[in-house]
Amino acid sequence: MASTSISKAERSYIQAGILANPPSRADGRSLYDFRNIALETGVAPLANGSARLSIGRNPHDGSGGTEVLAAAKLEVENIGDGGEGVEGGRISCTVSCSPAAYPHLSSNALDDLQYDMTTILNETLTHRVLHPPNLGILRGKKAWVLHLDAVVLYDEGNVYDAVFMAARAALWDTKVPRTRSVEYQAKRKGGATKGNAEKEGGSGDMDVDEEVVSGFDTRQIQTATDFELPDYWDEGEPLGGRENWPVCVTLNIVQPSHFLDATQTEEAATPLRVLLMLAFDTPYPTSVLGMRTLGNGELTAAQIAELLKAGEKYAREIWTSLNAKLKEETMNRLKERSKF
Amino acid sequence: MASRVEILNEGGYRSDGRRQFELRTIDIDLSQQGHADGAAVITHGLAHVMVSVFGPREAKMRSQTIHDRANINVEVAVAAFSTGDRRKRSRGDKRILEFAATIKSTFEPVIQTSLYPRSQIDIFVQVIQQDGGLLQACINGTTLALMNAGIPMLDFVCAVNGGVHSTSPLLDLTLLEENDVPNLTIAVMPKTRKVSLVTMETRLHVDRFEEIFRLATEAGLAIHGEMKGAILGRSKSLMGSIELGSQQRSGNTAADAMDDDD
Repeated sequence: MASTSISKAERSYIQAGILANPPSRADGRSLYDFRNIALETGVAPLANGSARLSIGRNPHDGSGGTEVLAAAKLEVENIGDGGEGVEGGRISCTVSCSPAAYPHLSSNALDDLQYDMTTILNETLTHRVLHPPNLGILRGKKAWVLHLDAVVLYDEGNVYDAVFMAARAALWDTKVPRTRSVEYQAKRKGGATKGNAEKEGGSGDMDVDEEVVSGFDTRQIQTATDFELPDYWDEGEPLGGRENWPVCVTLNIVQPSHFLDATQTEEAATPLRVLLMLAFDTPYPTSVLGMRTLGNGELTAAQIAELLKAGEKYAREIWTSLNAKLKEETMNRLKERSKF
Repeated sequence: MASRVEILNEGGYRSDGRRQFELRTIDIDLSQQGHADGAAVITHGLAHVMVSVFGPREAKMRSQTIHDRANINVEVAVAAFSTGDRRKRSRGDKRILEFAATIKSTFEPVIQTSLYPRSQIDIFVQVIQQDGGLLQACINGTTLALMNAGIPMLDFVCAVNGGVHSTSPLLDLTLLEENDVPNLTIAVMPKTRKVSLVTMETRLHVDRFEEIFRLATEAGLAIHGEMKGAILGRSKSLMGSIELGSQQRSGNTAADAMDDDD
């Protein structure tokens, strides 16, 4: 990504620093060190789940660093007759970049960049192995659509890792409202008067003495036509399978070495980057959910295997610390709520 | 009919517990953000806006340069999750372009553009959360970001919105009130008491206009106090670190001198 242009001399200086023994980087980190990461969930009160993540923000005056805001919002969609809905719900992800993050890009270039990031996030997160089980509402009629919007507010390098971490945190934070299906029945005995009966969880509550139902009929005919929210003030239940959302680790490659968490100038000096999207312990010890190379360098198959092995180690560290932080955030919010 | 939210109840309180002329809390953060030359994050109650200023710098497109003054370029981006119902607005959206044009015309007479011929000042506004008073938050944020970037201006621009509920004027409306009540936004320059913007998209009785206009001007002055405080605080902290730095340097040179003596 040529978002910053640097001179040949600067490029070779940065590359030489990375290949030197011991390696040296402008901010004194070692090759595999990350900058500080700060994460906060529940930042957008109008969304069903949200997170703000920054990498490399100065802790004293809150300045600088990559900053990403992600929020998940749920909407109801009709399935069939003109609705876009899909059985069991669907997810759509969008990444938008503030022009302030890339001040030297023209608006067309910014659109292209947004599109690239959207494709990577969307393709990884909407894969059906990750699909949450509780996005359906009424079989064949209504389902939730989850819109995940990530906004890159500022980019100081390593934006993909930040976007994926923010996405995972926002989805972790997402609560799906509980719904109850409602069905309307015509009263047969009372003649023309119409009443409505409520059905809890789709199980029958009908007057059985009117119609003889065969005991062999085991079909479940869904007659519910609409749904309601049993409790408006309840936030709902967490999105199913929230442990599965992957994290991304970007390996910046300066042959034969590689390093993590590049700043923007370091990114400009790196000919090739490999993105690895990985998830752990769900249900396999390690699953690779995506892999991308960015830039115009080349890699041999043996190198890829090596990078994958190294990437797995780094990603697991990110995974563990992100999970710890998310659990802590959940605990804090529970504590806040139990105050009242 | 279910109970409806009262805009102003009999006790004189509004739906969020404020009095008629009470403003929402203003929170200003002027710390450095990304590569921006000046940035400001401002919240009016729940409305949350982030403004970054770049420039004066060379224009990205040569055709945009003006030979005797700087060109002001305003771009507004609204986060899809900033409103109650999700709506994705692209940059080319007419409503957003008009909004950006309003901000631009508000600041054109205030920024001393003639000092920077053939250059461009970029103002990027990112709306993170909306709860009424969007234009006011954007204008106040832009003023602060421009000052933070050190761009010479004639005065502050302080914006505030107001509306009239039946006969009683209200200041600093939330989204709920904005939807229900005829409202206007004005931007005041406190030193000269000039007004650089008045907009109204609803209808308001002529007799009521003067009163709300006067009140909003006064509220603009109150907001000016807050903004000035924030700018002074930021400048002081910057000056403090400059002094600290120069002290350290002189301390170091003194130490060096001692070393030389030894």
